[in-house]
Amino acid sequence: MDAATTLAPLAGRVRRGRRVADRTLRIGCTLATVIGAVVLGSILLMLIVQGLRGFTPALFTQPTPGPGSEGGGIANAILGSLVLTAIGIAVATPVGVMAGTYLAEYGRTSRLADVIRFLNDILLSAPSILIGLFVYTLMVRPMGSYSGWAGGVALAIIAVPVIVRTTEDMLRLVPGQLREAGAALGAPPSVVITSVTWRAASAGIVTGIILALARIAGETAPLLFTALNNNSWFSANLMGGVANLPVMIYQFALSPYPNWQGLAWAGALLITATILALSIVARLVIKPQRSR
Amino acid sequence: MNAASAISTVELSRNKAEAGRAVRIAVKDLNFYYGSFHGLKGIDLDFHDRQVTALIGPSGCGKSTLLRCFNRIYSLYPEQRAEGQILLDGKNILDSSVDLNELRSRVGMVFQKPTPFPMSIYDNVAFGLRLYERLPRSELDGRVEEALRKAALWDEVKDKLKQPGTGLSGGQQQRLCIARTVAQGPEVILFDEPTSALDPISTGRIEELIEQLRDEFTIAIVTHNMQQAARISQFTAFMYLGELIEFGPTERMFMNPTQRRTQDYITGRFG
Repeated sequence: MDAATTLAPLAGRVRRGRRVADRTLRIGCTLATVIGAVVLGSILLMLIVQGLRGFTPALFTQPTPGPGSEGGGIANAILGSLVLTAIGIAVATPVGVMAGTYLAEYGRTSRLADVIRFLNDILLSAPSILIGLFVYTLMVRPMGSYSGWAGGVALAIIAVPVIVRTTEDMLRLVPGQLREAGAALGAPPSVVITSVTWRAASAGIVTGIILALARIAGETAPLLFTALNNNSWFSANLMGGVANLPVMIYQFALSPYPNWQGLAWAGALLITATILALSIVARLVIKPQRSR
Repeated sequence: MNAASAISTVELSRNKAEAGRAVRIAVKDLNFYYGSFHGLKGIDLDFHDRQVTALIGPSGCGKSTLLRCFNRIYSLYPEQRAEGQILLDGKNILDSSVDLNELRSRVGMVFQKPTPFPMSIYDNVAFGLRLYERLPRSELDGRVEEALRKAALWDEVKDKLKQPGTGLSGGQQQRLCIARTVAQGPEVILFDEPTSALDPISTGRIEELIEQLRDEFTIAIVTHNMQQAARISQFTAFMYLGELIEFGPTERMFMNPTQRRTQDYITGRFG
């Protein structure tokens, strides 16, 4: 037997083995993608079908109805959610951006920065109900009532680590030579940071803030212990409980009243659409920087 | 002290006589450390007023390190330190009492890759001017134009001063960085391989520009390109493994080096 005849079938077998492995992996990956997409798609479909039914003008103009009654809307919860989220982001943005700046610019190699970075990563994945309990102990108990302020603070605590992380990552992407160039012109670090590195990383930092916004817009657990709810029309009193979409959905969806359940669906669709819109905006903001 | 540095010291004193120009920067027994790594070993070297001095040598020889001592940019990194003396107009800039920001307004630096800031062309040039002075708009406009003219960029950008500096071509960006440095009115300009990221035509323009800037500024340039050193410099220093091997007028260094290693490097035998 010569070499050619012994090698030929072997070569064929190796090639077939590879083809099988290739096909198996491809089928496996496709299957996993399809399963994921079907689950996600059916959730969205259900949400849209059930939610759109409740999308009436009254949804945006009337406050939540009493138990068992007909009609009504979720206007107070929408407004409350906007206010709570705004407080959360307004508190979290300066803290998060400053802390991220410290980690990326001042504390690059310091031990303290390593510790902060580690704690921040833990906070990033902390169960949000813990944050709710923390703020409950810190603010709700001493102040004697559930309050909008407490809700805003709880949301801020969830948003801060997201902003810290993205700010640091984005600042680290700024080339070191840009900092050297600033220093070489005689600019102190504060000027280099505020007018050079922040600007260079601005799109990324803004994206981080928007993503944090999207994250806290749908948080329920921290609000259960803090802002709770308020069935009356929004009273502008942040010292008392404030209605908000996630807690409203939680309560109404579990209720036995079909009217409430319908409003919960509509609220869920509204939140999902808002988060989707925020994610799209975040992508649009980062895009011009990537292509540069 | 080894033979090489002994000879270079002899060279030095002879070159002073040859140049006939005042010494602007005098480096005396300069040692540099990256943590525990000894990056520069007992450098003695003079930079002459309004002359171009090229620093050449293989990668890692310490030429960029030496350049980074003149504006103490290394002090951004806590583990780096320099010992010895660098006299700028007779004053030791390594002294801890030196105001770094003032030093850096007198000793400008242009980097390997163009480093335009993410702001308009105008704001890039005005950046250094706005740091410590509040100039009236008209004067600022004048200084920006003057700097852009000196950097041979004015004609190309005069109609788009409000556009971002990052939108310019690589060569234009590098001239923008030169304009930004020139605008501060420094005495010395350091170039750290300013053309290694540029195409040949842009490189040619930067080299012409450096020739012109020599009328006004003392220039030190680090380059990997020996032809470039030969074309634009009046003095050349050859460094190897953190030591200054040989220093002298560029023409003599290239035509008639006294050190074996200089000759080997210049003729391409290593590097």
